[in-house]
Amino acid sequence: MNSLAAPAAVATAVLGVLVVVLLVAVAAVHTSRARRLAAAQENRAELMAVVYDLLDDGDEQAVVDAPADLDEVLLHLLPQLRGADREAIQTALTRRGVVARAVADLDARAAWRRGRAATLLGSTAGRDHLARLTALLADRSVEVRCAAARALGRVGDPAAVHGLLASLTTARPLPAGVVGMAVLDLGTPVLPALRATLVTGSPAARALSADVVGLHGDVIAGPALAELLTDPRQPEDVRRAAATALGRIGDPGSTDPLAEVLVDVALPALRRAAAEALGRIGDPAGAPALLAGLTCPAREVAAACGDALVALGPEGSAVLADAAARGGPLGAAAAATLDAAPRPGLLVGA
Amino acid sequence: MPHVLVVDDDPVVADLVAFRLRRMGLEVTVETDGESGLAAVHRLRPDLVVLDWLMPRMDGLEVCRALRADGDPALARTPVLMLTAKSQEPDLERGFAAGATDFVAKPFSTRELVSRVTAALPAVPA
Repeated sequence: MNSLAAPAAVATAVLGVLVVVLLVAVAAVHTSRARRLAAAQENRAELMAVVYDLLDDGDEQAVVDAPADLDEVLLHLLPQLRGADREAIQTALTRRGVVARAVADLDARAAWRRGRAATLLGSTAGRDHLARLTALLADRSVEVRCAAARALGRVGDPAAVHGLLASLTTARPLPAGVVGMAVLDLGTPVLPALRATLVTGSPAARALSADVVGLHGDVIAGPALAELLTDPRQPEDVRRAAATALGRIGDPGSTDPLAEVLVDVALPALRRAAAEALGRIGDPAGAPALLAGLTCPAREVAAACGDALVALGPEGSAVLADAAARGGPLGAAAAATLDAAPRPGLLVGA
Repeated sequence: MPHVLVVDDDPVVADLVAFRLRRMGLEVTVETDGESGLAAVHRLRPDLVVLDWLMPRMDGLEVCRALRADGDPALARTPVLMLTAKSQEPDLERGFAAGATDFVAKPFSTRELVSRVTAALPAVPA
């Protein structure tokens, strides 16, 4: 018994000491964290006082002389603010050398530094570094390429559109969604370049340009879009983007080419896009083509044609009712479309 | 002195908003999550709440709904100014349906915020 009791007592004592050490360590960590938080809060309060002064058109030298931690606060606030506050912070970042350091970081070995530099320049640097940011669209890191594209969008110089569109087809292409958002950020000044791209650009650039001119509702691009839509040599995604854009623009002058594609083309996704566009335009002249599409074996095409006829309003409903009265497969499809259509009268009476 | 409660989980933004509102001569209290924000509304009965949407524990929309559903009519009428990056059309619809009085979209201008707070405050019953 005694020979076992001694080691057990030692083990218990060691365990007790370990528990005490552990508790002390946990308490020390908590205390240290609380001190760090308090210090950080105090530090933040001092830095925020400098920010307040800056936004009140205060002493600029105080901003330049403030500790390095101020950069993080300014960079944190920059994307949250706009107008005069944002301009004041941009100026402060430039005067504190943050922009110059970001320019230097564009050549950094670490991708995160290049990406951060691009993001920062997009927010702060105006148009001074367009060429450097455009060059970054071919960076070996996709994250950096995306950061450069977003930065170019934020800088807002229309001249960036060419580099952005070219980045769709380089050896390291950028995702179309990222480029599209950046091009949208450039606003309507890039519409002439996009219209030209509809004719001369790569297929990817034509499709993206069609998307963006459609989102801008650019009526002037209508004829070029109609050309793309009806040209059988164009890739299907380009024709589909053209159809969608024509629908968004909403010019009844596009009804004929859209109806032609809906009736004559064998590609279901393109026909569906044409039907949806006809519904958006809302021109009753599209009704015959939409009615014919109701019996299309491709269900998505038939459904889009039905929805589009309903979207035409009373004229579309009259065409459907007339077809339903005549019976046959088309009549059955028309009747089913009418049955499924929302009835505003029921909602009013509810 | 009118009292404004600022609820935003970003302490830097909350501090900046509080600074601007204090410069207007308002009394300002800051909370950094929705749950403590709602508790502060009950405790302090502010004249106006500046409320972020995306926050931990309880988001701004939930705070707004809870406030509007409060049994105390005075509390339920507290103006709520949403200060949020969610400012697309459907977001605005959801926000107003939840009871928001007005929106200020992030990125925001502190001058615009001050104007909207000024516009919302006179609606507070004396």
